[in-house]
Order: sequence, then C-alpha cells, then structure tokens
Amino acid sequence: MKNKQTLFNKLTNPKYIMVYATIGIFLIIYAFGAFVYGDKGFTTVRTFVNLFIDNAYFGISAVGMTMVLITGGIDLSVGAVASLTGMFIAYGTSVLGLHPLTCIFAALVMGVSLGLLMGWVIHYLNVPAFITTLTGMFFARGVCSLISRESIDIHHPFFDALASWKIYLMRYADGHWVRIKPIAFINFNVLLFLVMIAIGTFILQKTRFGRNIYAIGGNEQSASLMGLPVGRTKVLVYGFNGLCSVLAGISYALYVKSGWNLSLQGGELEVITCAVIGGTLLTGGVGYMIGTLFGVLLKSIIPALITFNGNLLSWWGKIATGLLLLLFICIQRFVVTTSGKRK
Amino acid sequence: MPEKNILEMKDITMQFPGVKALDGVNFSLREGEIHSLLGENGAGKSTLIKCLTGVNHMDSGKIFLDGKEIAPANPGEAIECGISTVFQEVNLCPNLSVAENIFVGRQPMKHGQIDWREINKRASELMSRFHLDIDVTRPLSYYSTAIQQMTSIARAVDIKAKILILDEPTSSLDENEVQLLFNVMRELKAGGMGIIFITHFLDQIYAVSDRMTILRNGHLIGTYNIDELTKFELVTKMVGKDMDVIFNLKRADVAPDSNIMLNAEHIGDGRINDISVTLKKGELIGFAGLLGSGRTETAEMLFGASKIATGEIFLDGEKINLNRPFDAIKVRIAFCPEDRKRDGIIGDLSIRENIMLAVQSRKGFMKPMTRQEQTDLANKYIKLLGIATPDCEKKAGELSGGNQQKVILARWMAAQPKVLILDEPTRGIDIGAKAEIQRLMLEMCGEGVSVIFISSELDEIIRCSNRIVIMRDRAKVAEVDGSSCTQQDILKIIAEGAA
Repeated sequence: MKNKQTLFNKLTNPKYIMVYATIGIFLIIYAFGAFVYGDKGFTTVRTFVNLFIDNAYFGISAVGMTMVLITGGIDLSVGAVASLTGMFIAYGTSVLGLHPLTCIFAALVMGVSLGLLMGWVIHYLNVPAFITTLTGMFFARGVCSLISRESIDIHHPFFDALASWKIYLMRYADGHWVRIKPIAFINFNVLLFLVMIAIGTFILQKTRFGRNIYAIGGNEQSASLMGLPVGRTKVLVYGFNGLCSVLAGISYALYVKSGWNLSLQGGELEVITCAVIGGTLLTGGVGYMIGTLFGVLLKSIIPALITFNGNLLSWWGKIATGLLLLLFICIQRFVVTTSGKRK
Repeated sequence: MPEKNILEMKDITMQFPGVKALDGVNFSLREGEIHSLLGENGAGKSTLIKCLTGVNHMDSGKIFLDGKEIAPANPGEAIECGISTVFQEVNLCPNLSVAENIFVGRQPMKHGQIDWREINKRASELMSRFHLDIDVTRPLSYYSTAIQQMTSIARAVDIKAKILILDEPTSSLDENEVQLLFNVMRELKAGGMGIIFITHFLDQIYAVSDRMTILRNGHLIGTYNIDELTKFELVTKMVGKDMDVIFNLKRADVAPDSNIMLNAEHIGDGRINDISVTLKKGELIGFAGLLGSGRTETAEMLFGASKIATGEIFLDGEKINLNRPFDAIKVRIAFCPEDRKRDGIIGDLSIRENIMLAVQSRKGFMKPMTRQEQTDLANKYIKLLGIATPDCEKKAGELSGGNQQKVILARWMAAQPKVLILDEPTRGIDIGAKAEIQRLMLEMCGEGVSVIFISSELDEIIRCSNRIVIMRDRAKVAEVDGSSCTQQDILKIIAEGAA
C-alpha cells in the first residue's frame, strides 16, 4: 500500500479492468480479421471507418445509455424515441412541408421532455426504471404508428446535403494532399458520434454532475446521505438520454433517409449491448465512455467479419454478439466478486 | 472554556406509525465538547440524529444552531448548515476512489472542470493525518472496513463542520484505530467543534466524553457530566431496571443421565478438520474463540450449509446426512446466522411471514398454513418474546436490531427444533435486549432444546453455558466446564492454546 501515484500504479488501478477487457478483445478480433482477411482489405482504413459509419446511431444512443446504466437504471425507450424522431422528420418534411430543423427541434422537445418525465416518475414515484421506460417505449412507438404506418422517404435539399456531407481522409504525398485509397471518409454521423463520446467523457469525468452519477450507481442511499442531489441527477440523466435518443434518431434518418414506424425495433437492446460489452456494469456504478466507444466497435466488427467471409449467414452475427455479451457478463461477475473481497 | 451552546434541540417529538420514537426530547451541545448519546436500541438515538441531519422530519420541536433556528429538509441541507455525520454502517460509494468519496459533491474545480490532482493531493494529506499511507485513487471497495470507516470520518472532518456526529464509528475498528480516532476527536474538540458520539462500548464513553445524554423509549432520562455517574448507574438508567435482576440468569439444568442429542465425530469440510462435539438434551454449550477461529464454520457443518467431507454426525443416536440446510431443518436442527441482515431476516417481508418461514418449510410448501394460523403463530411469539411492534404485519426490516433478532429466534422456536445453533445472536444489540435473548435461550433449554451458542463476548458465554468449546486457529483446542471457569482461563487458552 504505497502512496506513490506512478503511471504504472494509475494504469493498474482495478477500476479500469473492464475497459481493458473490451479493448483487448477488440484488438484480438481485429488481429484475427487482419490475419485471415488481410488480403481482402480488412486492414484498410476504409473498413475501420465503416465500422463507425454503419453503427454511429447506436453509438450516439449508447452515450446516454451508458450514463443511465451507471446510475443503476435502464432505459428501454431509446429505440422507439429514435424511430419517432425519424418519423417526425419524414412526416414533417415530406407531408407537412416543414424545414427539417423545425422537425428536429420538435423531436428534441419531445425526446428530452419524455426523458425528464420518465426520470421524474422513476425517482419521485419510485417506479422501477424497467417498467417506466417500457411504458415510454410503448408510448413513443404508438405515437409513431399514429403518425404513419408506412415508410416515408425524406426528400429535402438541406437534409440531403447533410446526409451526403463528408470529409475525405487524405494523405500527404509528393508535395500535396491526396485522397487515400481505397477512398475513406467521415460523415456527419461519425462526427456526431465522436463529439457525443467526447461530451459524455467530459460530463462523466470532469463535472460534479457526472461524478454524482457514479455515486448514485455505487450506492444511492449513501449518495443521498452524503448530501448529493440524487433526484435532480437521475431526472437529468434520463433527460440527457432522451436527447441522445433523438440525436440517434436523426443519425439513423440520415443513414436510411426515411422514417418508418417499425424501424429500430429492439434497438434499445442493441444499445444496451454496446454499453455492456464496453464494460458498463448493469448493476451500476462502473462504466467509461471510452469503453462504450470500443463496445460499439466490437459489436460492429462481427458483422464486418461475416461480410468478409462471404459464406456465413448474417445470423451468425447475432450468435456471436450473444456469446460476446455472455463473456462480458461473466467477466463482470468475476471482477465484482474478486474486487469485493480484496482487503 | 466558555460554556456556549452551539446546538439546541427543544421538545423534539417524532411519531412513527404505532410508536412514539421521540417524545419531547431536549438536547444541547456545547462548543468544543464530546457529548455521548446513550440508550438502548430503539431508545431514539438514531431517530434524534436523523431529525438533526434531515433524514427524518420531526413532528414538532425546534432546532437551533448558533442561536438560529434551522430545519434541514435533507442531508444536503444539514451539511450546508455545518452538521456532518458518520453513520453506523459505512455510507460511502464502494465504486468511487477513496479520494473521491471524501470530496464528492464538493470537488475543487479549476477552469470549470474537476481538479483531480488537488482532490488526490488533499485526500492523501487527510488520510496521512490518520496515519494511513494508502493509494487514495483506488476504489473504496479495495480496502478493509476499517479504512472505509476512516474515509467516512475524513469526509466528515474535511467538511469543516461545526458539529460532527459519529454514530457507532468504532464497531469495526481495532484498538489502535480506536485510539487514533479518539486522538482525532480530541484534536477537533480543541478546535471548537462539537462532537456527538454514539457507541455501545461503555469504556469508550468514559475515555473521551465530557458529558452524556441518556434516552430511553423515546424519553429524555437526563444529561450528566461524565464524572457524575458510575458505569453501573449509567447502565441502570439506560435499561430502566435494576441490573442485578437482568443478569440473574441461571444456567440450564442438565440431568447427568439425560441422553445425548447431537454427536459430531471428527467432522471436517476441508476448511476445518477433525472437530468432535457432543450435546446433551437441554444443554447449552458455548463456542468461544476469536473471529475466524472456526466457530461459524463448525456451525455451518452442523447445519448442512457446508457439507462435511469427513466424520459423522448423529442426532438422537441416528446417523444423519446433511447435504444442505433443508436436510437439517427436516430433522429439526435450526441455525440463526451471524449476519442477520444478510442471512437471517428478510426485511421486506412482514414479521408474520418471517416467523412462519421455517415452520412452513418443514411442513412442505404443498400444505400451506391458513392466514389465521399464521397470524396466531406470529402473535403468540410477538407476545412471548416481547417484540416491540404495533402488529405482526409490520415489515421486519423496520424493526430495531434487537427486535429483528427476536423475530429470528421466534422463527426457529416456532419450528420446535431439537438443536438450535445461534451464531452471535447478541451482536450489535443493547444490554437489555441481550439479557432478554439470553433468558430466552435458557428457557428453551429448560424445554429440552439443545443449544449451541456462539459469541465473541466471553462474559455472556460463561454466564449461560454448561460447557464451553474453545476454538483456535480453525481447531477445537479445549472444552471447559461453564460453571467453574473464568474469563481469564478462557483467554489464556485462546491466546496460548490448550494447557
């Protein structure tokens, strides 16, 4: 028990075990892919960037979900809220002729209010988060179906511009910048995902609000006895998650350019999966944004591997994801039981 | 020192459903004093503290801090007023680092961000004041309970409170750590802080306090200077009865020819090996020894909670196989575990449900008891054991520690056991309730139940036991007669092994 805070000491701090596990397993799978499908282009920047592009909307939602899970809660409404956001934009622009930004604004008001309301019910009426957010899910899905039961395409110059906006990755050669080959780019979704991860990290690590989230997840009663604003924090966390769901919905709409009342069914579970394989404890108190980032990558690298294989049915991806989740839950159990007993 | 009151609580009354927890209690705290708050469990100490810290809300009464009236609505407001509390059970977040537990909610900020460097630096300094040279960036759960307790004290101290409340802070500390804590308390007192100190250890009260206030059943008994009362007078005031009556317990009478009820021969489960114990009908044997000496492990083997690998167990002359607790319950062996919150009481169930559990389990769940039978059973034992509750439907988790223990006893008494194993049944409960539990144990012996009584407190073991099994380093080292041995004898055997 030395009081030296060396770099080694910092890095071996047991609280990082889960994050290391996530990053480690991602690297192993990536190395496997590189070894087997390296000749087919698995190691290219483009493949790597596509992991982000194809899953940015899950990642954006996972930022808010990570916070909810750290408080020891859960939010099952995120998929439905994202779907409703897409419907707002689609119906608003294509049927009502509104500007997409107006629709987005309406979706934000709806998503954040629903989140705050659910947080309020969970804390002040003491209703389990599972039930409360299940209700929220049915509500959002129902409203979505009320608006339209058919898929609506989104056509609007502003929206199209935003969807096709991209930054090409460049390299410096022969005195000027050229696009790398094969061509790889970052779009608005990826940018939004990375920005949200950065914001999430800042909130969790650098603000009192963020630390209160961890304290509540560690022991809610203690947090309250320590004089922390438990109620306010929980309500705001669900509100923030509502915001993330709406942003994820925008991102998904940009990705598919349509709104449909049955889109993203079960999406909430995919989002929870991302957070959990990213090292967030379902029992609360532990989790990092960087873990969630790698959780999203880890979840999206499996379908990528299956695509590269070409012979496997895509359902193998579900099975692999399930196994991965199981593995992480086992690791979590192990970490929780061993660290609890250490003296 | 000028005798200025920093805190005055006047006519505090607080009603819980069915029970008046506080009835017109007055309390005052001077600047720079250590004031002990005493009383049995359920006397109202914790409730008084909870009113002061905003956890509970009193029905009537006034609180003045520095002459100004305050009414904290939640713990946060109390802390802002300068009232800081270390609660009985460690109330920190195990997932946060030691440093963060000290500063969470009031982290130093720099450029709009939490200044982690400053937090860790100041936490290190604080902990080294307690002579703890530890890595404060590790999670709290990484450290022992004693260090966790010190962390919560460090948090309370750093808040720079006017009033520090220590609710049983010493129960998990060893002698050196207690002294360390006392030094810190004296330092803080010299700095003008008023300290309210709650403990069950009488010696500690006399070691550090200036004054003491005694509560009983929600009433104020009085406030005294420390040299005004002897320990004996103090306990009498706390209990409200004459101590002699309480401690005038008689050991169980065991006829020399009464048959052997339980016989364990050379049993072992890998953790512990080769233990032999015999227990006669109606006999009480005590298991003495330090924590970790193998007392609990032996009890678990006799109850089937840990399967024996070697040896044999006989009940009433017949060999029995105990693979799981259910087997033991079937042959009427009962076990009250050490940690009643974790292993014994089911807090969310009512007293009635808690009491009927073992009976129902033995009868089998296919033959449910009627509601009326359950209620009758529960009421019978509530009356018999004197469980303080308005009715049998109150949640067991809302009872005081002593009453919870009685509910567990009732559960097993109702199951009419042949052998009853009690692991530390009196820990953490007050003197009055302790005596009550001991009396009940002995009464059960009188009815022919054989009892195994595990306790860390030698005086109660000696007072109750016919024979005492002494354990040391996971082995039985001696067996002595309860009526003829002294504490010194036992301590010597625990310390040095069998003579």
